[in-house]
Amino acid sequence: MSETKQPGRDVLLDIYRIATLIKTADDRFIELIKAGQIASPYYSPRGQELIPAAISVSLKPSDYVVTTYRGIHDQLAKGIPLKPFVAELFGRATGTCKGKGGPMHVTHVASGLPVTTGIVGAGLPIANGLAWASQLKGTDQVTVVNFGDGASNIGAFHEALNLAAVWKLPVIFVCQNNGYAEHTKYEYGTGAATIADRGLAYGIPGVEVDGNDAVAMWQAASTAIARARAGDGPTLLEANTFRFRGHLMGDDSHYIAKEEMAAAIAADPLPRFRAWLIKEGHASDGQLSDIEATNVAAFEEAVEFGLASPYPDVSELDKDVVAEGAQA
Amino acid sequence: MSAVQAKKINIVQAINMALHDAMELDSSVVVLGEDIADREGGGVFKCTAGLSTKFGTGRVKSTPIAEQAIVGAAVGGALAGLRPVAEIMLMNFTTVAMDQIVNHAAKLRFMTGGQTHVPLVIRTTTGAGFGTGGQHADYLEAWFAHTAGLKVVAPSTPADAYGLMLSCIFDDDPCIFIENLPLYFVPGEAPVPGQRVPIGKARVVQEGSDITLISYSKTLHEVIAVAKGLAKEGISAEVIDLRSISPLDMDTIIASASKTGRVVVAHEAQVDFGVGAEISARLHKELFGQLKAPVARVGAARSPVPFSKPLETAFVPTRERILAAIRETLN
Amino acid sequence: MATEIILPKLGFSVNEAILTEWMIPDGGAVSKGQLLYTMESEKSVQEVEAPADGTLKILKEAGETYEVGTVIGELV
Repeated sequence: MSETKQPGRDVLLDIYRIATLIKTADDRFIELIKAGQIASPYYSPRGQELIPAAISVSLKPSDYVVTTYRGIHDQLAKGIPLKPFVAELFGRATGTCKGKGGPMHVTHVASGLPVTTGIVGAGLPIANGLAWASQLKGTDQVTVVNFGDGASNIGAFHEALNLAAVWKLPVIFVCQNNGYAEHTKYEYGTGAATIADRGLAYGIPGVEVDGNDAVAMWQAASTAIARARAGDGPTLLEANTFRFRGHLMGDDSHYIAKEEMAAAIAADPLPRFRAWLIKEGHASDGQLSDIEATNVAAFEEAVEFGLASPYPDVSELDKDVVAEGAQA
Repeated sequence: MSAVQAKKINIVQAINMALHDAMELDSSVVVLGEDIADREGGGVFKCTAGLSTKFGTGRVKSTPIAEQAIVGAAVGGALAGLRPVAEIMLMNFTTVAMDQIVNHAAKLRFMTGGQTHVPLVIRTTTGAGFGTGGQHADYLEAWFAHTAGLKVVAPSTPADAYGLMLSCIFDDDPCIFIENLPLYFVPGEAPVPGQRVPIGKARVVQEGSDITLISYSKTLHEVIAVAKGLAKEGISAEVIDLRSISPLDMDTIIASASKTGRVVVAHEAQVDFGVGAEISARLHKELFGQLKAPVARVGAARSPVPFSKPLETAFVPTRERILAAIRETLN
Repeated sequence: MATEIILPKLGFSVNEAILTEWMIPDGGAVSKGQLLYTMESEKSVQEVEAPADGTLKILKEAGETYEVGTVIGELV
């Protein structure tokens, strides 16, 4: 990686806006679940916000982002509209998927979110298909597919990286390495020293980056995205990060050493980024607080919308299995 | 030129013709699979011969041996507006891509509330007869028919292979298109170019009044042969070629079973938990008081496909076993 | 109006959980976000914060197992 371009102030503030929107959403979902107001499996991205925020500023609405059950950060960063997004997580008829997909399958085609999967690794082969379509159509659309460190050990990862390399597809494989695959620490489940090393095995650049450093993440992402747009093929990005809230809601992270968790919390990337923005003169405390307040208000509006929305009618069971009018 | 000569082609040629015609008609149709491009021979059974030369290697792509990648690329391409036709060389290998087929292709339309759909076709070959053994000849249609969101077809003639392939390619949902290896080279009446066969519509091969014989794919030809023998005995059999496994053409099946009151279903797949079981259950529900005998099922032995020739021959539903089931149903 | 304190569903397959400990005494004043009680489900212990300000009225005793969705208390 040799990109040393610096992001401008507008880009940095956009990254901050997105990252804090994600944290606001995450905090609020957890509050609602703990208050018993909603019941849903929930996979928190707390700690990983800067990764999609830094990637998304280099993407267009027509670019594709593929993600997983731990995906609200990727989806919010891509610009999914808040009300139908929240309604989907609440299982309501007004949700993006009419309540029929839920958190593991959030989809919003107009935002460039064509698929979210609940199967570890499955998004990578699908991302190749999206990229192939762009390649055939001759557009400069790129596809970003997000997955975790655990996914880098499943067959689909290997098949997909190889095919992307052979077909020179405009795809960026973003491994959000938060150190744990479900309850298994990286070193106990992965043979390679780093996941970025695996790029070499497939003949594509493998780039390791601190996913908790907004500037470094932006640099690595914009380089990979430009490479894909130029038709130069795929990149494997390994963004190192940490997750503060366990694998899913209800997991108390007992398998993470207390000192490790404490150190990660002390190094929380969001307050660190906030302080840095002020110190570097990109924004004042007041300006950042305004951004935060706007996010909170907008998200609260979406929560109210979601809670007030109806559940889908039972007749929805028969719909969308196959095309309307066709026999299932 | 005096009399019109009935042109004959085989199923390989019919599939090839359908792919050519579809790709010419619609530039979103793309084809992928192992060795399918002309540089690699145009497919191991040559079903895709000529396509890459004519339409280019952007639209016609040989792939590594990577079934998850193949089907996944087809899923993603379909989500982005292509109509991919993915070849999984042998049906047993669909198991390697089950996640993409069953967890993704079949379910994305529903899980996205209809925002997306997956108009792909998976073409796959199977069938005992060449000593390929336990992992290369399974009929797995029941697994896929058991999955809401998938269509499953299994043509037995070149015209139906052509017509169903066009229908599957232009269907807006995922279709599993089952081809049979021994049947590939059996000639049949050539299709009318452009003529599609609707999915979910069976074909009455011959009308009859004493018993209904239901089958598909290669076994259909065995059933036709048995029916010819029955005719000599004065037994009038109505033979139905399902053509589509899912959705089933229950109208045709029920009409026939109401008429004859006796039904035998024969397929090369395992009997237990198979397509015959589903047809039997539905017929018993619809025609319980009218059936003159329980619906009989004939299928492969309950074992993996064996290698040794005499075992392999005995494994599939032979004419003798089909006939035995018919006699039992008639008595 | 009183805010119900509902025992939440945390974790994949839980339909019941143990209310392990109330962190505030019955009748005590509570601020929103303050640690209110702990619960255990699927062998994992969770801390739950108060969803609103108010005075705690305990409806269910700690140390027992309750179905998810049970109203275990109120904030009046």
